Amino acid sequence: MSTRKKVLWWIGGAVIVLYALFPIAWIISISLKAPADIANGQFAPTKVSWQNYRDILTGSASDLFLPALRNSFGICLIATAISCLLAMFAAYAIARLDFRGKRLILSTALGVAIFPVISIVTPLFNVWRQIGLYDTWPGLILPYLSLTLPISIWTMSAFFREIPWEMEQAAQVDGATTWQAFRKVIVPLATPGVFTTAIIAFFIAWNDFVYGIVLTSTEAARPVPAALGLFSGASQFEDPTGAIAAAAVIVTIPVVVLVLLFQRRIVAGLTNGAVKG
Amino acid sequence: MPKAVGQVRPGTGSASSRRSRRRSPRQRGVASAAALLVAAGTLAACGSDSGGASTLTWYINPDSGGQAEIASRCTEAADGAYTIQTAQLPRESSQQREQLIRRLAAEDNSIDLISLDPPYIPEFAEANFLAPVPDDVAERVTEGVVQSAIDGSTWNDELVAVPFWANTQLLWYKQSVAEAAGLDMEQPVTWEQLVEAAEAQDTQIAAQGIRAEALTVWLNALVESAGGSIIEETADDPEDIELGLESDAAVRAAEVMRSVSTVGGPAFSTAGEDANVTDFEEGDAAFMLNWPFVWGRALSAVEAGTLEASVPEDYGWTQYPRVNEDEESRPPYGGINLVVGAYSQNVDAAYEAAECIVSEENQAYYFVTNGNPASKASVYDDPEVLEVFPQAPVIRESLENAAPRPQTVYYSEVSGALQREYHPASSLDPGSTGEQASELISAVLRGEQLL
Amino acid sequence: MTQTTMPPVDKTSPVSAPHGKISDRARSERRLGWLLAGPAFVVMLAVTAYPILQAVYESLFSYRLTDPDNRSFTGLTNYWVILTDSLWWQSIWVTVLITVVTVAVELVLGFALAMVMAKALSSIRPVVRAAILIPYAVITVVSAFAWQFAFDINTGFVNSWFAWLPGVSADTDWFGDWGTSLLVICLAEIWKTTPFISLLLLAGLAQVPEVLQEAAQVDGATWWQRLWRVTIPNMKAAIMVALLFRSLDAFRVFDSIFIMTAGANGTESVSFLAYRQTIARLEIGLGSAVSVLLFIVVVMIAMAFIKGFKVDLSSARGE
Repeated sequence: MSTRKKVLWWIGGAVIVLYALFPIAWIISISLKAPADIANGQFAPTKVSWQNYRDILTGSASDLFLPALRNSFGICLIATAISCLLAMFAAYAIARLDFRGKRLILSTALGVAIFPVISIVTPLFNVWRQIGLYDTWPGLILPYLSLTLPISIWTMSAFFREIPWEMEQAAQVDGATTWQAFRKVIVPLATPGVFTTAIIAFFIAWNDFVYGIVLTSTEAARPVPAALGLFSGASQFEDPTGAIAAAAVIVTIPVVVLVLLFQRRIVAGLTNGAVKG
Repeated sequence: MPKAVGQVRPGTGSASSRRSRRRSPRQRGVASAAALLVAAGTLAACGSDSGGASTLTWYINPDSGGQAEIASRCTEAADGAYTIQTAQLPRESSQQREQLIRRLAAEDNSIDLISLDPPYIPEFAEANFLAPVPDDVAERVTEGVVQSAIDGSTWNDELVAVPFWANTQLLWYKQSVAEAAGLDMEQPVTWEQLVEAAEAQDTQIAAQGIRAEALTVWLNALVESAGGSIIEETADDPEDIELGLESDAAVRAAEVMRSVSTVGGPAFSTAGEDANVTDFEEGDAAFMLNWPFVWGRALSAVEAGTLEASVPEDYGWTQYPRVNEDEESRPPYGGINLVVGAYSQNVDAAYEAAECIVSEENQAYYFVTNGNPASKASVYDDPEVLEVFPQAPVIRESLENAAPRPQTVYYSEVSGALQREYHPASSLDPGSTGEQASELISAVLRGEQLL
Repeated sequence: MTQTTMPPVDKTSPVSAPHGKISDRARSERRLGWLLAGPAFVVMLAVTAYPILQAVYESLFSYRLTDPDNRSFTGLTNYWVILTDSLWWQSIWVTVLITVVTVAVELVLGFALAMVMAKALSSIRPVVRAAILIPYAVITVVSAFAWQFAFDINTGFVNSWFAWLPGVSADTDWFGDWGTSLLVICLAEIWKTTPFISLLLLAGLAQVPEVLQEAAQVDGATWWQRLWRVTIPNMKAAIMVALLFRSLDAFRVFDSIFIMTAGANGTESVSFLAYRQTIARLEIGLGSAVSVLLFIVVVMIAMAFIKGFKVDLSSARGE
């Protein structure tokens, strides 16, 4: 490839990186602005200030932010774990077994995936308050499954279809027990698919806003996206721009770390192994 | 911390769990474990609340930490009778209402005390979400309280809330600009004069043109100042509510809004209190209608070195502007009153705590540190208050004249409809906007239209 | 809002007995299949089908949460109220506009990104890929705040950076009117979801047979001709599936509007309208009816795609 072409590729790549990271850079920049600097009309802070981070981590807003962070992590991890577990069984059945109803299950997953969340959140609120699930962890974990399960079932069944299941039988022929064959042969082959699915499911649960604002009301279960709307400035009439930006940066860190570590897997998961990086 | 858990025994648990709550957050888990043990212990012991320590949950609106401090002061003063924990509500008062109603509709018994925005009090009272105020408490907490705060706590001629702090807007101005414009700020000014002065001096009037509750606050103050009322006759049946939006007063109010929008700056239709004060501090606006928090904000900005000391030195303040020259203005009334949740299991303790929270001392503290004015008139004579807030006498006078927003069970519908029709202020047609708003409110209350 | 994925493409057939009369083996396989997939199936139905049925039921009542005693059956009145209200039609129009604009731009932009990723040098590919995943993974609410702060007249830098553009000055209030508010909302949505669409298209690109490309090149077709005659026709299925999912996703837009304008200046989407009736106004009956109508519209869009554009979902169903 010619040097000129190479340079063009590099420029193209740089443009894409700039496109993707610019808003992130901006929110980081605003999170480093002192309250009086917020309205400076410039991209960068006049002087870097850690005030906003102090506010949300140890200061006045920490009572709001830290429990929300704990809730977000707890609820999203549990929802991810449950949906991966359920999806694992379902995907195994779909990939390996031939049974009537398979189409029904996949169509249902499709239907649930296109469901407008807002349509079910009010009835859920009504039921939740009657059975005491309102503002609790299970009260969010259950609805989160409606977001994470369909994608988990699909992604995982696509992965499982690619597993050479014959190897299990081969191992058994070689003298391994069923359990050994499963553990030594199938589990290592299936783990990447399960893991990738878990990351994608986690992203989706982490992103939720509607369930978070409607089905919670205290720090008992309120997740971070819903808590962002509750920050206050120095008084109730002042805008909490800096605190929101700092909290936004903190909740973005986990997803960025996941992306950087597992980008290849995530792409494969989203496109179902159609592209080998 | 196994020791703390070990110490806990039914009966002695209250003291130790209270002490541990003051320790580092890391130890909070232990404290709550202890609290659980205590709860289990007392349940097993007698199965009923024997008047021992009760933990009260106080839902507070966001502030600069003042209510949390008052909570711990009262907990201390109660000497074991009760412990107050705070839980924070959203920033927008409409969202506070949504969240509280959702919880109360779920018959949540963890809601003991609420800091409630006054316009929503009728709705809560009518839905039986509030525990009735005992007569003796009602008598004590209304003593020496400014009238607007008592009005704001009353529904159907009965006190349903404990007046806490009372807010009102003042007209803030830059002395230099007012002087240059030849305005005599010792005398009451009218909106017309302000608009003329702003035009002449090429400056802005900062007011809340944003589509939010603040717009209703402004509209209501204008209609009341012009001698009218948004709701002239309220009624139990939404269809019988009589609106005053087509009155001359309401037409005048719309005229004022539109003329102010012409000198309200480029972002008038999205400007809220915070944007207003930024414009005022930066000098884009020389006149501003805003709550007293702006003073505390300017002082702390000077202290932090982010604002020139000369800026607040130029601040002037006076009564809310008049709509009609010869008619006293009716400034906005805001603030927070305390209510006790109907499903609370500690109603008596909650009212005891409410009385402590609204004590003169705590109100003065809250005023001085958080800039939220007191509802008790005597606080305004406190030398400490006067030192920090030289505006105190003006605020007090403003509160005496302040007009509450329409009192109705359907306040949020009324306010929402007003915000829809009166926004943006620049596109108002004083002759027809009132009529459209009336029609919309009636249709919405009859359930014939969306909002 | 939810995100969706590329439906699985059938690669290998399941290891199983051929179709035929139900043998013992088939029966036990079916039992095992349902045993394994049943829990997921039940959970999915429980958290969606049950609530929507409840919503259909509630929508037939006049019911205000704070006034449960006056709940009364009103039949289809709520639907009549909504369908004759200009607010409903305005929110439909806004939602359709956002959907069409964002999906169209995303498709073009996403296609370009996919082409770059497919052809990029192996040295920069991981960097580009990681970068592109970041908008996908960032919380919608965070993205909405970032874009809002950027355009805000007080906190933003856009006015000072782009003052050279006609119509932009230090005094431009982006959230002060309908068109500019929607523009910012669309920008935020496009930024956030283009990467997803580009990944779906990347998968589609990989399915275009290399031989066809080469053959066309030998025939002297230009790059542009190859794009339109070979590449795009061969990845029509992938494009349609991407369009379907993104359209349905865009139609449910809520978070960005909630954060940026809260529906001011006529920027309310259907989801936001439903939210306000039920959650803000507590009119459970009326709000449920809006929710049901939204659901019906979403189903209609899905049907239109599947029937009208002949989107082949058979592969999506693993057949």
